[in-house]
Amino acid sequence: MAKEVTALPSPRRRHLANWLFFRVGSMLALLLVVGPVLWVVVTVVANAAPHWKWSVLTTTTQGTSGGLENAVLGTLLLLLGVLVIAGVIGVAGGIYLAELVGTKANGKPRGGVFRAATEVLSGVPSIVLGYVGFTALVVGLHWQLSLLPAWIVLSVMVVPYIARGTETALRQVPTVYREGAEALGMPLGYGLRKVVLRSAIPGVVTSLLIALAISAGETAPLLYTAGWSVDNPSFSLLHKQVGYLTYPVWEFWDYPSKQAHYLSFDAALLLVVIVLILLVTARLIVARTQRHAESRR
Amino acid sequence: MTESSNNGVGPNVPLDRRDPATGQAPGPVDPALEAIDPDRGRPANVIATRGLSLRFGDKTILSGIDMLFPRGTITALIGPTGSGKSTFLRTLNRMNDKVSGFRYGGDVLLDDESIWASHQDLLALRRRVGMLFQRPNPFPMSIRDNVVAGVKAHRIAKGKQLDVVAEERLRQVGLWDAAKDRLGDSPFRLSGGQQQLLCLARALAVGPEVLLLDEPTSSLDPISTENVEAMLKSLAPALTLIVVTHNLGQARRVSHHTMFFYDGALVEHGPTEVLFEHPREDQTERYVTGRMG
Ligand SMILES: Nc1ncnc2c1ncn2[C@@H]1O[C@H](COP(=O)(O)OP(=O)(O)OP(=O)(O)O)[C@@H](O)[C@H]1O
Ligand SMILES: [Mg+2]
Repeated sequence: MAKEVTALPSPRRRHLANWLFFRVGSMLALLLVVGPVLWVVVTVVANAAPHWKWSVLTTTTQGTSGGLENAVLGTLLLLLGVLVIAGVIGVAGGIYLAELVGTKANGKPRGGVFRAATEVLSGVPSIVLGYVGFTALVVGLHWQLSLLPAWIVLSVMVVPYIARGTETALRQVPTVYREGAEALGMPLGYGLRKVVLRSAIPGVVTSLLIALAISAGETAPLLYTAGWSVDNPSFSLLHKQVGYLTYPVWEFWDYPSKQAHYLSFDAALLLVVIVLILLVTARLIVARTQRHAESRR
Repeated sequence: MTESSNNGVGPNVPLDRRDPATGQAPGPVDPALEAIDPDRGRPANVIATRGLSLRFGDKTILSGIDMLFPRGTITALIGPTGSGKSTFLRTLNRMNDKVSGFRYGGDVLLDDESIWASHQDLLALRRRVGMLFQRPNPFPMSIRDNVVAGVKAHRIAKGKQLDVVAEERLRQVGLWDAAKDRLGDSPFRLSGGQQQLLCLARALAVGPEVLLLDEPTSSLDPISTENVEAMLKSLAPALTLIVVTHNLGQARRVSHHTMFFYDGALVEHGPTEVLFEHPREDQTERYVTGRMG
């Protein structure tokens, strides 16, 4: 009997075991998440830094050499369009789902059809969306490879993320804010803008950020819709192909020429930098708008 | 157009202010008289419920509630948990209208007009009948912006005037000294009691006639509670207050009238003193002597 008792772990030992388990476990988990990210950044920087020339930003691509000005401008233009088109539609859709559809008699929120549609949409591979855009817009409407079909296909691709992100963020806003606004006699839309949306901003901004990062990193749908151009983008929406950064990453990296390799890694580095800038901007916006938030007393 | 509005009477002049003999709107009020008694010529009861019943779906929450709320008085609502006090209170500024399955019977009159009358503007109604909640709920904006949030929404004032309004209302609730150097700060750094006073300032800023309070001090410590109670008492002659409370001492301290709810029915009501000292009903007696609930 006594032997059995001593064989049990002492509270202290159990404490240590627990501590080790959670500490080591959480470290491992962290490593699993952060590791690949670091690895990607280090690889890209290590491959791009030795030959980096700032002229990459100011010269356009010549064949498979030259610079990437056209691709940087093209990517930024694509992102701007996605931000406007998908941002407006996605955020409006999220507001609609969270605030306006109401609930059914059984207490479940309405808007199931819209929600199911966004789920299906987010499950469709981007290359399929690209192909559909190609047949319907580029060929079907004779728009040719150009900016507008690329904007549309990318937007269709990311609207579900933004809508669901916005909806979730809005649903997490405490009821007391809504009731407070209502009890003061604020009109629905006014209370939504001034009180409710304000505290949902972190979620909305994060979903916009993810949408932009996804768009910046897409290749397949752009090959089908934007094409590729070595000229800087013009303001024509149709009939003119557009360059973007994922193209050289994808196309040039196994070219036999060293210049092509260099451009490929430069483009990858620029993509990483753009995503980082997006991230920092998002953090700044959140910090700026949330300085009066309940969570940051 | 109805006949009465053909009479040159604007649709927003309450019926009761018209001369009963001629049906005309009242002439201009002597400003001196208006200053002495701004409620002159208005119904004595600012709110009246007439056989008010309420259901959510199949569930009857309130049944047949008849009650008058005289202008400028404080009424306490007491009763065991689940007896329908909050529901009753929230009905008065139509916060229940959107609850699924909401159905009402009877009526609620504000200055002798049904709150559900088709010409009632819901937003204007809520401006007249304000509300303070159990848990302080400042908005996620600066202290100053909180006070003037409703003022801005109703476009009562703008620009520099807003600062004046903010100061005036913060002074009124006794928060000015604590808040004057941190008007741009987050309201969530204030104590719970101060947050509740801030919410009170916000509700007062839109100039309500009636204030509904749902257990306004139940999340506060005794000293903050005392502060808020003192504040409520000082509001009474100018405003009509209806306070739900589980604190019988509070009901006795602050209210003129008390209503006792049980299971969705108004069992008994009367002057606070009488209801607590000489209750007519057994249920009331058991509740106020602490043998129930
Ligand atoms: N939205 C709703 N849908 C369905 N039933 C509800 C709803 N809100 C309240 N009820 C029901 O109405 C009854 C009265 O609730 P109410 O909140 O008014 O009680 P109360 O007297 O305020 O209680 P407490 O003292 O605990 O706050 C309860 O049985 C409650 O379950
Ligand atoms: Mg309640």
